Amino acid sequence: MIELLDAFGTALVNGLMNALMVVVNLLPDTLSDAFQYRFMQRALLTSVMVGAICGLLSCYVVLKRWSLLGDAISHAVLPGVAIAYLLGWPFFIGAFITGALTSIGIGAIERHTRIKSDAAMGLMFTAAFALGIVIISKIASSTHLMHILFGNVLGVRESALLLTLVASIIALLAVWLFFRPLLLYAFDPQQAQALGFNTSVIHYGLILLLTLTIVASLETVGIILVVAMLITPGATAHLLTDRFRTMMLISVSVGVSSAVVGLWLSAMLDVASGGTIVLVATGWFFMALLLSPKYGVLARQWRRWRMG
Amino acid sequence: MATIPDTPTAAVEIHGLHAAYQRQPVLEDINLTFPAGLWTAIVGPNGAGKSTLFHVLTGNMKPLRGTVHAFGHPIAEHRRAGHIAYMAQREAIEWDFPVSVWETVMGGRFGHMRRDAWWRRYMPARWYHPRHGDAVRDALAAVDMLGFSDRPIGALSGGQKKRVLLARALAQQARILLLDEPLAGVDPPSEQLILDVLRGEREQGKTVIMVTHDMPSARRYVDHVVLINRVIRGAGRPDDMLSDAKLAALAIARVESTAREMAPAASPLSTALDR
Repeated sequence: MIELLDAFGTALVNGLMNALMVVVNLLPDTLSDAFQYRFMQRALLTSVMVGAICGLLSCYVVLKRWSLLGDAISHAVLPGVAIAYLLGWPFFIGAFITGALTSIGIGAIERHTRIKSDAAMGLMFTAAFALGIVIISKIASSTHLMHILFGNVLGVRESALLLTLVASIIALLAVWLFFRPLLLYAFDPQQAQALGFNTSVIHYGLILLLTLTIVASLETVGIILVVAMLITPGATAHLLTDRFRTMMLISVSVGVSSAVVGLWLSAMLDVASGGTIVLVATGWFFMALLLSPKYGVLARQWRRWRMG
Repeated sequence: MATIPDTPTAAVEIHGLHAAYQRQPVLEDINLTFPAGLWTAIVGPNGAGKSTLFHVLTGNMKPLRGTVHAFGHPIAEHRRAGHIAYMAQREAIEWDFPVSVWETVMGGRFGHMRRDAWWRRYMPARWYHPRHGDAVRDALAAVDMLGFSDRPIGALSGGQKKRVLLARALAQQARILLLDEPLAGVDPPSEQLILDVLRGEREQGKTVIMVTHDMPSARRYVDHVVLINRVIRGAGRPDDMLSDAKLAALAIARVESTAREMAPAASPLSTALDR
């Protein structure tokens, strides 16, 4: 049974990669040459998927002001990954447990003590992160730690690719199936509760999705830089539109294009791919900040100048 | 003034309700009945627990003790059935959220959509059952905002924002309307429009419950008044409850109990009391 699933997974990945290469081969040779190697193709496919789900989730992160929470969860994932590695579990399970525990801990400190939420988050996630570093320093090499922290997309194995694929499908399905509860919860949680939606289920469901996305991004950009991929695409899209669906579309496009362009640039310049991907996304953000027709700096200056 | 039935049935019944924020009691031993089909005003100083009471009714806050029933059933059942509409204060919402006026009001229908055919639940807006669009159109027309359907909500004025929030509550076509200060910070034409809409709802047999600081409107329009300041200070007909002596006593209670939370600016209540 497991062998059958394995074979199916491999076939699916190969099919997807071949489809992707059909698109890539349409590009001029100077661009597509870099992707003739198998490891580059795996890296490309992973990056595209990570860019897409990060872009999708980043809309919620930005609109719900969860940037710091995203940062917290991504750091809190580290001990979970380490423990899962120790016990031979899938990374995701350990990551989710410590991610969720940390977010519950943050909520508890916030509610029951006089500590404010930013201090509660800072305290909890650095503690979880420290625990993770201590465990990993005992069980694995520092290159391994570096890969978890900053990603190692060029060394993506097929199992990691498959995990990213499954995570992407789950995230996409969840956003599609629960589109309206998620939208209402992001916009006005009190209203959602008054309409009889179970907002704590939605809340933890969204945290689960975030954790899933972070774990899926582990090998591409790493848990430190994934925060950027969960904020920058959504923030860029928020500057460009007043429609939620359009925002999602723009955000996913920013995520995917940053991943692809960043990967290509990092191969060309022989620099770290995770960092390059994030820098490309940041470049998109500043372009939107400058050029957005409604909320851009230039448009604003132009309107001010015209008003006299 | 509208006629009041002799023995009104209860729309909402609250028994022995206690609520607190971080062990600071906000509501103590509340026993209260909101008559069905009537328009009730909840009056009290700032920090008296009026919004907290609404948070309990909408399920946004768990009470320490006590029960809340609507039409004889636990109120949570009515929330799930879409019978309870809630209009929050303007500050409760992120106005730069990327949605249009139409989409915002459609949000009031999301509860009812759970009862649509299963396939519609996973489809974008054009596949919504037509009755949702009709309800939204009626609600927007009632508050005179139909022409603004496609506007982003961030581009509205203060009074228009209030009207959109009211439209979202109306679109739900609920039996009970909970309105948290629907008249605060609106321009006079919007205020009159909101009062007319609420009177229309009441005439259709809806139960309207609003928090207000606007004494002249309360005297003129509502059927029933509840005075509250952490405990219930009185409930009854507007003429009796909104007398100068009663309101002055409520204000003294404020000085004693919530002096530290008092807003520096004069609220409409205190100006009404000063006269």
